[in-house]
Amino acid sequence: MTTVIRTTALNKIYEGSLRSQDVHALKDLNLEIREGEIFGYLGPNGSGKTTTIKMLLGLLFPTSGKIEILGSEAIESAKIKRNIGYLPEGAYYPDFLRGEEILSYYGRLYGLRGAELNKRVDETLELVGMQHARKRFLRGYSKGMRQRIGLAQALISDPKILILDEPTTGLDPIARKDIRDLLVELRKRGITLLISSHELLEVELISDRVAILFEGVMQTLGTMDELLTQRELSMTVEHMTDEIAASLEEKGIVVEDRTGIRALLRLPQKLSTYDAIELCQARKLNLLSISPRRETLEELFVRIVGSASESREVAQ
Amino acid sequence: MLDFIKKNQTALMILVLILSLTAGTVLNHKIRHLRESEAFYRWILAAAVNERLFQDDDDQSEDALLFERCTALAENYAPFDNSPREAGLSLLGSIAQNYEDDKRIWSFAESSLAKEERIAFLTLAKGQKLQFATDIEYAEAQAGGVNVFNLFFGFRKVAANLVWLEVDRYWHQGNVYRMQTLMRTCVALDPQFIEAYLVGAWHLSYNATAQLPDTPWPQREWNARHEQCLGEKERFYYHGIDFLREGIRRNPRNYKLYFDLGFGIYKQKLEDYPNAVKYLAEAIRLPHDRWVPRQLFICQELNGQYGDALEGWKDYVDRYPGSMTAVEVAPRFIMRNEGLLFETEARLLLKNAKSTANPGEAEQMRSQAAALWEKARDTWNALDDPYGEGRKLMMDALELREEGRYLEAIATLDKARWDTGALFTEFSALIMEIKQEAAIPLSVSEKKALLRESEVGLCSGMPEEERQRRMKSAETIESSFH
Amino acid sequence: MNYLSSAFGGPWCVAVYTYREGIRRKLLIGFLILSLLVIFGSSFITSFVDPTAETDIDLKLIKDICVTAIAIFGALITVYISASVIPAEVETKVIYTVLSKPVSRVQYLLGKFLGIQLIIIVNLLLMGGLFFMALYIRQGIMPTLLLWSIFLTYFEFLIISAFTFAVSCAATSPLVPTLQGLFIYITANLTEYLKDVEHRAGQTGQFLDEAIGKIATALYSILPNLQNFSIKMQIVNGQPNDPPTDVMIPWLVLYSLVYAVAGFACAYLVFRRKEV
Repeated sequence: MTTVIRTTALNKIYEGSLRSQDVHALKDLNLEIREGEIFGYLGPNGSGKTTTIKMLLGLLFPTSGKIEILGSEAIESAKIKRNIGYLPEGAYYPDFLRGEEILSYYGRLYGLRGAELNKRVDETLELVGMQHARKRFLRGYSKGMRQRIGLAQALISDPKILILDEPTTGLDPIARKDIRDLLVELRKRGITLLISSHELLEVELISDRVAILFEGVMQTLGTMDELLTQRELSMTVEHMTDEIAASLEEKGIVVEDRTGIRALLRLPQKLSTYDAIELCQARKLNLLSISPRRETLEELFVRIVGSASESREVAQ
Repeated sequence: MLDFIKKNQTALMILVLILSLTAGTVLNHKIRHLRESEAFYRWILAAAVNERLFQDDDDQSEDALLFERCTALAENYAPFDNSPREAGLSLLGSIAQNYEDDKRIWSFAESSLAKEERIAFLTLAKGQKLQFATDIEYAEAQAGGVNVFNLFFGFRKVAANLVWLEVDRYWHQGNVYRMQTLMRTCVALDPQFIEAYLVGAWHLSYNATAQLPDTPWPQREWNARHEQCLGEKERFYYHGIDFLREGIRRNPRNYKLYFDLGFGIYKQKLEDYPNAVKYLAEAIRLPHDRWVPRQLFICQELNGQYGDALEGWKDYVDRYPGSMTAVEVAPRFIMRNEGLLFETEARLLLKNAKSTANPGEAEQMRSQAAALWEKARDTWNALDDPYGEGRKLMMDALELREEGRYLEAIATLDKARWDTGALFTEFSALIMEIKQEAAIPLSVSEKKALLRESEVGLCSGMPEEERQRRMKSAETIESSFH
Repeated sequence: MNYLSSAFGGPWCVAVYTYREGIRRKLLIGFLILSLLVIFGSSFITSFVDPTAETDIDLKLIKDICVTAIAIFGALITVYISASVIPAEVETKVIYTVLSKPVSRVQYLLGKFLGIQLIIIVNLLLMGGLFFMALYIRQGIMPTLLLWSIFLTYFEFLIISAFTFAVSCAATSPLVPTLQGLFIYITANLTEYLKDVEHRAGQTGQFLDEAIGKIATALYSILPNLQNFSIKMQIVNGQPNDPPTDVMIPWLVLYSLVYAVAGFACAYLVFRRKEV
C-alpha cells in the first residue's frame, strides 16, 4: 500500500505577541496515511488537529519538518491541490447562491469548464444525495444539507484525498449516519479519507486507523485492532452483598453499578469464562448474563489523554 | 520561464513594487509639473487680460513685474516667432488675445524655457503676493498652514455653493453690504463660479441701487482709482464692475462676464459707450451666443462708430442668414447706420467747405454734401419708422439753421425730440448748440446739463489740482452763456 | 491560450464571485442608496436659489453637489469594500475552501482585487448614471464632461482601493482596515502638506529638523497625491479657459495604474506567507 500523505518531524510554533508566550502547537509529528484508508485523526479541542490539516493544505506554514503528499513536497502546486478535497469545520457558504451554483464555482476553481463541469456537478450532487435541492438557494438549507453541499464542494474535482475537519459536528443522529454511510461509500471508491474529529464513536465505526493527538504530540497510532487490545468479561449477578463484593475485589474483580442485590462485575483479562462461572457458584451468586467486552475508543482516548496530562503535571 | 516566475515570486513582486514606486515617483514629478504649469498658465492668461484691459501704465504690482519678465522671455520663445503683435501689447499679450491660441500659451507655460519664471511664480504665489493667483488651488495648497479651505479637500466648490445660498439669503433680507463680503468668499472658494460673478454684479448694479436716491454732487466722494466723483449708486456700479473684472481675470475665456460688464453696467447703467464697446468687442471675440453681437453693434452706433456697426450688422446677416435678428432687426439697423453715415459725412463736408480757402473746392464739397444729404433723406424715407421721422425732422432743422431760421429750427427739434424718445439726448444737445450759435439765452436746466456734461462736478476728497481744473473749465463754459 | 485560461480563469471566477457576494453587502447598499438620494435630492436644493434670477446657478449647484456626493460616498464604498472582502472571507472560513483548491495565493488576490474593482465600477456607474440623467433632463444636452469626471474619479478610487486592500490582507476583521483605509484616503489627500513640512523644517537649520525635512521630501516624491485628481471637480463645469485636460487625463490614468500595481504588490507581500 502506498503512502499518500507523509509528515516527517513536523513542528508548528505560533509565535506569541509581546505579552503572550509562544505556543508549540505541534511537536515532531510523524504521520503516514495510506492509500484507500479512512484515517481517524483524534484529539481533544486544541490538540493540533486543525493545525496539521491546514499545514497539509498550505494554509499554514510549518515551523520545521517536511510534508509530502502523493510523493511530492510541492504541496502548494496546482497539480497536488487538484487531488485534494477539503471540508473545513463550520465554513459558511454564501446564502445567495443555489446549491449547483456553489458547486460550479468551486468546480471552476479546479479548472473544470463546460460539459465536464456540468457532469461533475451532476455526479457530485447525486453522490451526496442533493439532487432534489440543487435549484434551491442555500439560505433554505438545513444544517445537514449545508454539510452535504460542503462535502460536495470538496468532492467536485473527484479528488484522491479527502480531508474532513469535524464533518459531523452539530448534526443530528440521522444526518450523522447519512454522512457516515457516505464516507464509507467514498472509501469504496478508492478515496483516501483523513477525518479529524473529537466525536469518537463516529470515527470508531468507520476508521481503519486512528491517531490520537494531545497537546501537539502524537500519543498513539494504529489500526483499531492494534489499539483496542484490552478485552475483559463482564457479568451481571444477583444476591450481591458487601461481604462478597469485598472478597471479589480482592481477586481484582471490579464491582460496578450495584443496585440492591444486583451488580455488574468486570473481570480482569487473566480470568477465563470458566473461572468466572466458578466464582459465582462458590459465592452463591445468581448469574444473569456473561459477555466478553472490548475496550471502546472512548476509553482508550480517556486513558491516553488522562495519562498524558498526568505525566505533564508530574513533569511540571 | 514559468518555473522561474513561480520560484522567485516573492523577489519578483518586490521588484515590481520597487519599479512601480519608482514609476510613481517619476509620474508624481511629471504631474506636479503639469499642475504647476496649469497654475502658471492660468495666471499668464489672467495677467495678459489685465494688461490688455485693465492695467495702468505705471503698475508696479508683483503681478505686473512678473508678467514683464514673462513677456520678455516670450520674445525668445521660438514657437512664438512671426506671431503678429498688437499695438500697445506685448507679444505674449497679443497671442493671449486670441483664445484659439491658448494651446500655444499652454506650451509656453509648460516649456523648460519658462522654468525660472514658473518657479518665481510659485514662490510669489506661496507668499500670497500675486493678486491673480490667490484663486489657484495648487498655489494655495502650497501656501501651507492649516488653511480652512484645504480641509475641504477637493470639495471647495460645494462649499462655494453653500456660501452662495447664504448670499442669496442676505439678498432677500436686503443686507447688501454683508452680501458683498460673502460674495468675495464665495468666489475665493470657487474662482470658476461664473454665475456668482454674473448674478453678484447684477445684484450690485441693478437691484441694490434700485431703491437708492441720486446723490447730489457736493455729497459725492472722489474715487482715486476710477478718478470720478461717486455717489452711493455709482459706488455700487463700480463694485459691480470690480467684481466682474475680478471674474474676467480669473476666467478670461468666458464671454458672459465681458458681456455683462459691457452691456449690463457700462451701457445700461453708466452710459459709458466707449467702455461698453470695448468689453462687448472682447465678448464677441470668444465663442458666444447669437444675441451678443447685436448689443455690440447698438453700442457702436451709440458711440458714433456707425461704420463699424454697419459692417457688423452686414457680417451678422451673412453669418446667420434666416435668423430672426437677421431678418427682422438687422435690415433696419443697416439702413439706420447707412443714413447716419451719410449724414455725418455730409456735415463733415459742409464744415470743411466752410473752412477751406479755395472757393472752387468748397463749391465741390458743398455739392457732394448735398448729394449725401439727399441720400440720407432717402434712407430715412425708406426706413419709415419713428426714428427715421425724427432724423428727417432733424435734417429739416439743420437746413433751417443754415438759413438762419434759428427759432424755427429749435421748434422743429423740440417736436422731434418728444416724438422720438431714442433721440432725445442728441436733439437736446443740438438745441443748445443752436441756441449758443444764435445767442439765444439757455434755460437754467440746460445750463446745468451743459456744466455737468463738461465734467465740472465738484465733490469731497478731490485732489486740489483736479478741483482747480474743473472750476476753470466751468468758468469757461459759463462765460460762453449769453 | 490554454495557459492563459488556466492562469486567469481562476482569478476571474474569484472576481465574479467576489462581485456577486460584495454587491449584496448591506452597508454598501446603504451608502449607495444615500448617495443616490443626495444626487436625486440635489435637484431640489436648487429651490433655495432665487428663482427670479434666470441663471445656470442651479445647474452648477447640482453638478457640484453630485460630483462631491459621488466622491464622498464612492470613497466610502471603495474603502469599505476593499477593506472587508479578505477579512470577511477569513471570518467565514470561505477562504479555506478556496485556497485549498488549485488556486495560488497571487491568483486568489488578483481575483479578489478584480472583484472589488467590479463592485466599485458598478457603484460608480449607478451613481454616475443617475447624475447623468438628472443633468440630461434639466439641461437637454448630453453632459459628456461628466463622464470624464466619473472616469477620473474611478482612477482616484483605484489607488485608495489598492492600498486599503494591501492593509486588509494583514487584518482579520474588516473594522480596522476600514479605518485604515479612511486614513489612507485622508492622508493621500494631504500629501501636499509634506511640502510644507519640508519648507518649515528647513528653516531652523538643526540636524534633526533637516532630517525630517529630507524624509518629508522623499515621502512627498514617492507617496501618491490624490489632490492631483481634483481636476475631476473642474471638468464637470467645463470652463473654456481650462488648460487642455487631454494632457492631464492620460497621465493621471497611468499614475493611478502604477500605484495600483504598487498597492497590489504590497498586498501580495503581506499575504504571501499569511497564516489563515
